[in-house]
Formats: sequence, C-alpha cells, structure tokens
Amino acid sequence: MLTLLPQLLISGISTGMLYALIALSMTVVYRATTVVNFGHGDMVAAGAYAVFVFGLGFGLPFLVALALAIVLLFAVGFATQRLLLQPIVGGPHLSLAMMALAIGYTLRGVLRLEWGNETINPQRPYLQDAYMFGNVVITTDDVVICGIVLLLLVVLFLLFQATPLGKVIQATFQSQRGAALVGINVPLFHAFMWGGGTALGAIGGVMLSMIAPLTPDLGQWTLVQGFAAMTLGGFGSLGGAVVGGILLGIIQKLLGFYLNTVFIEITGYLVPIVVLLLRPQGLFGRRAAVRV
Amino acid sequence: MPDAFLTVRGIEAGYGGRQILSGVDLDVVAGEAVALLGANGSGKSTLLNTLSGFVRSRRGSIRLGGEELAGLSPHRIFRHGIVQVSQARDLFPEMSVEENLRLGAWTRGGDATRLLQSVYASFPRLAERRTQTVQLMSGGEQQMVAIGRALMSQPRLLLLDEPSGGLAPAFVSEIASIVTSLKRRHVTMVMVEQNLRLALAVADRIVVLRDGVVVQQQSAGGDEEQIVRQIYL
Ligand SMILES: Nc1ncnc2c1ncn2[C@@H]1O[C@H](COP(=O)(O)OP(=O)(O)OP(=O)(O)O)[C@@H](O)[C@H]1O
Ligand SMILES: [Mg+2]
Repeated sequence: MLTLLPQLLISGISTGMLYALIALSMTVVYRATTVVNFGHGDMVAAGAYAVFVFGLGFGLPFLVALALAIVLLFAVGFATQRLLLQPIVGGPHLSLAMMALAIGYTLRGVLRLEWGNETINPQRPYLQDAYMFGNVVITTDDVVICGIVLLLLVVLFLLFQATPLGKVIQATFQSQRGAALVGINVPLFHAFMWGGGTALGAIGGVMLSMIAPLTPDLGQWTLVQGFAAMTLGGFGSLGGAVVGGILLGIIQKLLGFYLNTVFIEITGYLVPIVVLLLRPQGLFGRRAAVRV
Repeated sequence: MPDAFLTVRGIEAGYGGRQILSGVDLDVVAGEAVALLGANGSGKSTLLNTLSGFVRSRRGSIRLGGEELAGLSPHRIFRHGIVQVSQARDLFPEMSVEENLRLGAWTRGGDATRLLQSVYASFPRLAERRTQTVQLMSGGEQQMVAIGRALMSQPRLLLLDEPSGGLAPAFVSEIASIVTSLKRRHVTMVMVEQNLRLALAVADRIVVLRDGVVVQQQSAGGDEEQIVRQIYL
C-alpha cells in the first residue's frame, strides 16, 4: 500500500497547485474588497469556456485564445465590481456576498444554455506523455500545471514584494481608509483587483479543463475547492492560500485512495468543517472571523 | 479680513436619514490655523470628513482657492490638496515608518526623498525608528507618522482630527510644538482639538460647532470661559 505513497503525493501536489492558484485568485479579490466572491468558481469555469470558444469556435491558436480569454475575464471581473458591487458597497456585507453569488449563478445559467447537455474534453495544446521515475509516474500535465503555477507565483511574489505598485496594493489591503487618505482611488483599485483575480482564476480554469471534464457545473466544484484551500491556509492569507491549496490536493488524494474514493468528492467540504471547528484561523490566518 | 482660501457655505451632511451638519459656514484664510471645538458627537469629525470627501454633503458649497469641491470623491479632493489626518490615524499597520511616509507622496508626486528628509528633520524620533513596524509603536509615535505621512502629500489645507487625542501629556506638548512649527511654515490648518489649552495655544482662531452649525468664531486670545460655555452648556 505504502509503495503508492510517492505517486499519490505527486498527483496530489499537481492538483493541489491548481487549487492553490484558484484559492490565491479568490484571496486577491477577498483581500481587496473583503467580499468573498461566491461567484468566483463560475468565473473560473467561464474562463475555460472562453478558451474553448476562441480556440475551437473561432479557430484561433491556443495562446491567442488564452490571451483573449484572460482579457475577457479581466473585463468581466472589473465590470462586475464597478457596475454591480460598487453601487451597493455601502450596504450590508451580506448583500455583496448575495450579489456575487447571484452573478455566479447567472453566469452558470448562461453556460448551461449553450452547453447544458454536453461534456467537453478540450484538447491539450501539448502532447500528453508520462515519465517513469522508479515506480512513480509523472505526466506532462503534472509538469505543465506545476510549472505554470510556480511561474505565476514567482511573478506575483515579485510584483507584491519588489515593485512600488506592490507596495500600494499591500498598503490598500492593510487599510482602505489609509489608502484613500493618501489619495488612492480605492473603488478603481477594487475593480482592478476583481479583474486581476478573475483573470488569474481563469488561467486556473483553463488548466483544470484539461485534466477534468468541462461542464457548466465546473464552477461549483472549483468554488468549493478554493474555499476549502483558503480556510485551511488561513482566510485572507496569500501564502496560506497557496499552502492550503497544495495540502488540500494531497489530502484529497490520500483519503480518496486509502479510505474511499468518495473522499475525492467530499474532502473539499470536510476540510472547512474540521478547520473551522479546530482552528478557525487556519494555518496562517490572523483573524478568526470571516466577514461574508 | 483677507480673502478666504477655504470657503464653506451651508454644508448639510449626515449618515443615512440622520442629519449631523445642518448648514455649516466657515472661512479659513491662507496660512491660518483654525481650531474646531465642540462636545463629543457634535459633528467635528463629520465636518472634516465632509471637507475631505469621505462624507458626501447633501447641500452647500466647499471652495478651495475658488474651486468647488463639494460632492467630489476623496481621491479627487486629495488631488486639490486637502489632506486629512483622521481621528483613527488609519496607518498601514504592517509597514515600516518609512514605507508609511513614502506612500504619502505616492499619488501626489514630488521628490519623495527630499520630502522625507524634511519630515525626519521635524520628527527626529521617526528618523530613529524608520524601519520599525508602525503597529508596534506607541500612540504618540503613530500620531507623528500620521502627521508626517500627511506632510509627505504636500497639503494646501491640512485637516487634523484630534492630534492629541488619547496621548500622554509628554506627547501632547510634543504635538503642540509640531503644530506650532507647521504654522510657522504657513501650512493652512483646520484642527479638531478637545484639549482647549492646546487649541488656544496653537490656533489663530477658535470655531465652535454645536447642533450641526457653527455657533461662535473668535480669535484665540478671547474669553476662555465664554468658549467653554458655548461648547458644553
Ligand atoms: N459612520 C457613521 N455612521 C453613522 N453615524 C455616525 C457615523 N460617524 C459618526 N456618526 C454620528 O454622528 C454624530 C457626530 O459624530 P462625529 O464623529 O462627527 O462627532 P465628533 O464631534 O467628532 O465627536 P468626538 O469628539 O467623539 O470625536 C455622532 O452622533 C455619531 O454617532
Ligand atoms: Mg471626532
């Protein structure tokens, strides 16, 4: 049994990297606006569909389709914040969460209109292959996912830590009022963070659609994994989202193999329950309370 | 009296259905330091927040150097040069003193390094602690960072909301000397101050706010007892 452990760890890390990216993109939105975007999963799914449409529908090369999808989803996130959330930003926090949820369901409804009865298996833009290392198999998918996520993490880390813009983003995360007091246009900043977070999530969605079947309900699954990873890592912590995502991927694989395959489905629900009861601040979180 | 730099006329503002300011008039001359007094909850912070755009006025006019600012959002008003040090200070808690200060100059531009030198010259204590995280500093030190950050924005009008609030006496006198030195540099200021002695010592003029309107304006040399009566009785 234990001989399979390295293999499970490898594939756990690989999917975990995807969860990490999605959790990170949710965290960017959450840290900027303190709104949990319950529609985020559906935006991630919309990103995957956008690449599919631009690629197969319009016959564009993969990278062009991907670039267009990123721009489109940035615009979707930006417009969502500007046009739908900003007008009610002074109201109760719950209505912002409800609005985000409603936008997600609307998006899912639109996807169902067109693809409600089919499952798409998008073509990979590379050839799937497998490499043996002893008795561990590493697929091209694993390499591509880990490589791209790591690259994005490095770019984001540098942006946040080593650029003047990153300083401003961090400052605004720490105090919105403080940011406004130094002349930052906070509502515009929020819109950019929604755009950026959504675009980042879309990249995750595209990779997810290569290893899992693409259906309009992909967003549901995605949101749950992202939420679980955020809770595990510590809600609102950027580093926590990454670590939480990777751990979630590993836990899912281990429970699914050693206990029962049903755990692949339900780990994303069990993790928040256990974490919220035993350690509500998660691994790296500081604040115990989550504002919806 | 010379032409006013800031002219506030008939400002009405509040929260939700509740009106707090009901027709505030105020003139501030360039280079003048005005102390705004009033009981707790009389609307002093609300007035400053209305001037800086954090509270939208429902009616009335706010002119700075002839330009109408009422109804603009905070970042646009900031661009016109109204810079506020808020009652809660609202610093960036996990950042160092120097990072906080530099952010003050980020959107206004200007030579941040030169501005930083001049802030450090006024606040030697901050120069010593430039790498310290502000959330670990004392209230008085944080207040200095907040004032320093506002100065980094090169304000045309500086709004100070209770700079001595909650501070130990040693800090109160330090804040008083800072405000006095700002005045010597002809920084135009509106300052909310509960500490009457401090207000009288540093301000050119006292303005008393009560029931949402200005009930008294007088030069700071005036009758102290009369002012107290206006505020509280
Ligand atoms: N954000 C807000 N929402 C609703 N009501 C508010 C808000 N801020 C202040 N108020 C109310 O407006 C009134 C005036 O408050 P404000 O803070 O302007 O008074 P203040 O004169 O600055 O008082 P203090 O001396 O305690 O700082 C108070 O009754 C207060 O409860
Ligand atoms: Mg106040």
